[in-house]
Amino acid sequence: MERRKKGSLARNRMIGNVSSYLIMAVGSCLVILPILWMAITALKTDAEIYQMNGSIIPQEITLTSFLRIWQDYDFVTYFGNSLLVTICAVLISLVASALTGYGATRYEFRGKGTFLSFILMTQMFPSIMLLVPFYKILSIYGLNNSLVGLCVVYISFTIPFCSWMMVGYYRTIPTELDESASIDGATRLQTFFRITLPLVRPGLVSSAIYAFITCWNEYMFAAILLTSDKLKTAAVAIAEMNGYYRIAWNDMMAASMVASVPLIIAFVFMQKSFISGLTAGAVK
Amino acid sequence: MKHGSVRKKKNITPYLFISPVLIILVALVVYPICYAFFLSVMDTNLTNRWNFVGFDNYLSIFSDGSMVRSLLVTFQFTIVVVAGHLVLGTVLALAMNKKRPGVGIFRAILIIPWLLPDVVVALLFKWIFNANYGVFNNILIKLGILEKNQAWLSSGMAFVILAAVCIWKGYALIMVNMMAGFQSVPEDIYEAAKLDGASGLQTFFKITVPTIKPVIMTAVILDTVWWFKHYTIISLLTDGGPNNATSTVSISIYKEAFSYHNYGEAAAGAGVVFLICWLISKIMRKVMDNGA
Repeated sequence: MERRKKGSLARNRMIGNVSSYLIMAVGSCLVILPILWMAITALKTDAEIYQMNGSIIPQEITLTSFLRIWQDYDFVTYFGNSLLVTICAVLISLVASALTGYGATRYEFRGKGTFLSFILMTQMFPSIMLLVPFYKILSIYGLNNSLVGLCVVYISFTIPFCSWMMVGYYRTIPTELDESASIDGATRLQTFFRITLPLVRPGLVSSAIYAFITCWNEYMFAAILLTSDKLKTAAVAIAEMNGYYRIAWNDMMAASMVASVPLIIAFVFMQKSFISGLTAGAVK
Repeated sequence: MKHGSVRKKKNITPYLFISPVLIILVALVVYPICYAFFLSVMDTNLTNRWNFVGFDNYLSIFSDGSMVRSLLVTFQFTIVVVAGHLVLGTVLALAMNKKRPGVGIFRAILIIPWLLPDVVVALLFKWIFNANYGVFNNILIKLGILEKNQAWLSSGMAFVILAAVCIWKGYALIMVNMMAGFQSVPEDIYEAAKLDGASGLQTFFKITVPTIKPVIMTAVILDTVWWFKHYTIISLLTDGGPNNATSTVSISIYKEAFSYHNYGEAAAGAGVVFLICWLISKIMRKVMDNGA
């Protein structure tokens, strides 16, 4: 009797294991196959791309598309623009949201509750709602069709979430640390930089990744606000390849791969702190 | 315990700390939104025509029925996509919940769609479902399921494909939150449930779900609001077609503004979307607080 029960328990665990691996494997295939298709397309020749019901496996592997995106298209500029706008927006968001995280958890002050719910509320505003006003406001200040203007817009996307995340992180750091620092004669700013900032590093990393992904991937605003070719971001430039008379799918997929790979690499390296950061606000 | 009392005396230091974010949010969110409201009561082309029309824009977007239609499409789209995220996210998180060899690799793979730029996802699937050279047609024909090429994205399947692509793109956020949630349930509760003879399903719905509810709640609300107003993938994949079958509010507002130059009506439409997003988050919070 006892033995039979043990046997069925082991069998249950077996079923659990097998079905878990099956689910994970099927899910991973569904993720990998389209991405594999992106890679295969980027490696195919022009002739093979436009072959109706041709071979799925490339008959001839070529890196022409990966060369062309730098030579025939100006992707050096486009990626440069994306990188510039993204990095500026990320840095400004990080500094501002770290200061807010510190201020909102280390002090009691009038309007704190309102301020915190205000941050949360700004996350709810649909970006489409800001599109028309930004379009007009930036032109009033002469910032339309400029990377500075785009950066300003991106900051408005990243600040609410980053601030929220940093407030959550600072909450987990005991205030006793600051107290002892101030007893030791450290000033407020010294405490902020030397004591707490190193401790919230995981929060900064996940805020940075979140902000980076948001800005790097943004399309709608960049497409509307930037009109001159020299200022295009990578996302806009890739999307525009879709409008050509004869769409060069292989070039487009090559550019897409180049645009995606940095994010995936960054993520693999910082996976742990990012996932913990993404859920830090919630788990408590 | 809180040392806050010591510092509660009138002090500008905390305001200095929060001032960058406060100033940025006022300048970049509050100001544009006030401006949007101003635009929504104007008949304007943003350059030389500025006529005050009161709430006419709000009336006209509802009177011609197109806004109502695109709202319905948006609701349908959001419900399908978020439900898909929830189901897929939960199933995958459950599968990855136990420490098994190789789970780390699967987790890294399964999160990739969430990292890919919207533009890349949209164009990749546009290529896969391409009518003439798409691999989807190609495979179905090679397998003998299909006889001739189909223009999937301009067929009745467009909505289904669009929803599937958006589910593919976004389930990872729910999955990651679910995993964190599962981890936060104390092991001994499960032991106790097992001793009391609860089945696996009972344990899941009676113990796990209520415990992780607060964790998941925020993620689901944010997910709903995000996909409700989603633009990029829809625009590039189907651009609202065929026959407005996938024309969500974001698409119609965008066209209203930048194709027809009815900026006032577009701003009014955006205001309505905001109100709906805000209501959704309120209602969902209420329902989730009360239910289960």
